Amino acid sequence: MAERKTDIGPPHYEQFLPPVIKKNYGKWKYHEIVRPGVLMHVAESGDKLFSVRAATPRLASTKTLRMFADIAEEYCGGHLRWTSRNNVEFLTDNESNVEPLVERLNKEGYPVGGTGPGITNIVHTQGWVHCHSAASDASGVVKSVMDEMFPYYNGEKKLPAKLRIAFACCLNMCGAVHCSDIAILGVHRKPPDVKHDIMKAQCEIPSTVAACPTGAIRPATVDGKQSVEVIEEQCMFCANCFSVCPAMPLNRPDTDGISIWVGGKVSQARSEPKFSKLAVPYIPNEPPRWPTVVNTVKKIVETYAANARPWERMGEWIDRIGWPRFFKLTGLPFTKYHIDDFTHAGETFQRSLHFKRA
Amino acid sequence: MATKVRETPMLDELTKGPWPSFVREIKKSAEDGKEAANDLLGVLERSYHEKIGHWKHGGIVGVMGYGGGVIGRYNDLPEEFPHVAHFHTLRVNQPSGWFYTSDILRKICDIWDKHGSGITNFHGSTGDMVLLGCRTEALEPVFAELTELGFDLGGSGSDMRTPSCCCGKARCEWACYDTMNACYDITMHFQDELHRPAFPYKYKFKFAGCGNDCVASIARSDCAVIGTWKDDIQIDQAAVAEYAKGGGIDIQKHVVERCPAGCMSFDGSKLEINNDDCMKCMHCINALPKALAPGKERGATILIGAKAPIIGGALLSSVFVPFLEMEPPYEDLKELTEAIWDLWGEHGKNRERVGEFIQRIGLGNFLEQIGLEPTPEMVVHPRTNPYIFFELDEEE
Amino acid sequence: MSASVEDVANAMYEMVKEYHGKKNLKALDLTKAMIQKFGEDQVDKKLCKQAIRQLIDSGKCTYSYVGGSYIVLPPES
Ligand code: SF4
Ligand code: SF4
Repeated sequence: MAERKTDIGPPHYEQFLPPVIKKNYGKWKYHEIVRPGVLMHVAESGDKLFSVRAATPRLASTKTLRMFADIAEEYCGGHLRWTSRNNVEFLTDNESNVEPLVERLNKEGYPVGGTGPGITNIVHTQGWVHCHSAASDASGVVKSVMDEMFPYYNGEKKLPAKLRIAFACCLNMCGAVHCSDIAILGVHRKPPDVKHDIMKAQCEIPSTVAACPTGAIRPATVDGKQSVEVIEEQCMFCANCFSVCPAMPLNRPDTDGISIWVGGKVSQARSEPKFSKLAVPYIPNEPPRWPTVVNTVKKIVETYAANARPWERMGEWIDRIGWPRFFKLTGLPFTKYHIDDFTHAGETFQRSLHFKRA
Repeated sequence: MATKVRETPMLDELTKGPWPSFVREIKKSAEDGKEAANDLLGVLERSYHEKIGHWKHGGIVGVMGYGGGVIGRYNDLPEEFPHVAHFHTLRVNQPSGWFYTSDILRKICDIWDKHGSGITNFHGSTGDMVLLGCRTEALEPVFAELTELGFDLGGSGSDMRTPSCCCGKARCEWACYDTMNACYDITMHFQDELHRPAFPYKYKFKFAGCGNDCVASIARSDCAVIGTWKDDIQIDQAAVAEYAKGGGIDIQKHVVERCPAGCMSFDGSKLEINNDDCMKCMHCINALPKALAPGKERGATILIGAKAPIIGGALLSSVFVPFLEMEPPYEDLKELTEAIWDLWGEHGKNRERVGEFIQRIGLGNFLEQIGLEPTPEMVVHPRTNPYIFFELDEEE
Repeated sequence: MSASVEDVANAMYEMVKEYHGKKNLKALDLTKAMIQKFGEDQVDKKLCKQAIRQLIDSGKCTYSYVGGSYIVLPPES
């Protein structure tokens, strides 16, 4: 048997770069979106690189990857890459390959788009496909939302600025969605259902108690078994306890669901990066197509599209018009759940008369 | 293998519509004879009916010697869906910038078709290539074949997570340093920290070439390295005039008036910038890519401490080093990282991210301990409360 | 440094055995305990790191994950 290799790290990226990139590495001059989903980067040397961007569902079968490999070979000398938002990009310096690439990808069902002021692919987590703490499915919601938002992906419709949507299926936020224009977040709404039978065997009681940020968990003997109990009023359904102890599941079909957050951004452009803020505290899970979530997202996007100025991201628009008007224009109800009551909550209270008419 | 692909009436609703369908992808693998994919369809259809997932906590699975890179997963209906009774995931460290060739992609598929479900994620949230679903006994063979091909596993658990980066100088004219090289170099330098979890909790690096932050580093990494510049924005006045003539963009309204620093002026032909006031936000450069470019003295700002809400609430990273030259071998960044790990490693609580640790002990104390001078760039404004923990010397 | 990697790895192993079923230990818990046990002049973090690597590579211990990474005895032992 060959010697076991470890700690070799990832392969060096250079071997995967197309020749036009190797030649012009660090010497790019500017870029343009030549048509929706197609970027043209121009180097100081005058060389041009065309990137044709196509949607993927992130979850990809090897059959699809092999098909991408075939397409890359046919048009791009075998070169392709993925973006940070699960789009695939085919890279060629031959302009005449762009048209056939676009046609081919659209035909195969991986539509071209995702550039410029519109909606690109949704970053998301695993949901019911693979996760143990999911309060909702991820891929199904993403698919349903993107089917509806599709004209903003393929360039048919434009928005004032980029709009980034992200999805996470529980508060762990493996996708760290908390700074997105629209964040869709799975939520639990009932305290853990403590499994006293397996508690002792599967969990350390002291670390389970310590895991709770609000101190809601205390050791208890239940039916003669060493276990824990949860002070229900103190539980904020964060599932941190479940992360350290499998005997504390929070998943429940009847009360789990989805919340929607708006106005976050990560880029520095114009305004500072911002967190997303709560727009809708709870929508029940409605598989397979989550119509209420889809319609709520649509409503928010359309209100934004109709009212924001060019270059204004969702959060910048809301900052300009104020939250009272955001709730009025979108018709979303403002409730007590919208008011923060965690650490430093007071910082979000209105402590001046500087609020605008709704 | 003529196994019949399961019927999934509910999931089939998700094969309709213009957006590519993940259900279609799973079916492709099932049609290809992958029993695990077929059972995955079964479990998922059931989840769609019951509105609940059927996966259990991971437990102890991994490849020999590593504490990261494999996410153990078991199904809670193993009798009904035996082929996903084990459904472990391998995180494979992606190449910088997610560049591949058709050849390497096929070889990865060969490995995964032989040992796994045929289902992948391109890519996982942190950036790894994710091989989704295999049995425990497949882990070692997959690992052996991956390393033979030149790939290694990524991070998971309380370790340095797989660093990731934007495509940087490979394609972007705005990249203020070589993100792909820095990402590769840091990943290679800290292989032990990546594979053998020894921290209080996870630690993520993300490398973004400019303030547009295409990898969301400021929100998603404990250490965000974001490209910036020290000198003046480069202006090509002829190109500015072209834009003005072209009429595609109203320079006064959409560039000058949107500058957050209010440091630009435009007289109809010439664009001026008071660079002392510029905040390097990238807006004007984004809007006029042919006319404007970041300065020539380039490097990065290092920000520390971002995280998602668990446990003490979400955080964005905050400024640690306002400007760092990012030249290989990145000694300064490595030294800073080791100093942070030492301190946080020693005093951090279990599951406490470095951002939370800093909040607990105070940024001032943290800086003092790792030997960084406080500077005004690190705060929005100085403190407003008078509760200062003065530390007097004996003789005072 | 005069303690050997073997000595430290063995002492770590004893500690993991002792705490088995009572408390999950992190790499750092072991490191701190060893520095205490052997003395700062005998072992440092680096040596502990080597010892942990030996402990894991030998198969006597393994990593586990429950909301954090721990060093534990391999499953059925
Ligand atoms: S869900 Fe969160 S708040 Fe509720 S008991 Fe568990 S750790 Fe505490
Ligand atoms: S980079 Fe931002 S702050 Fe600086 S001049 Fe341009 S728009 Fe103004």
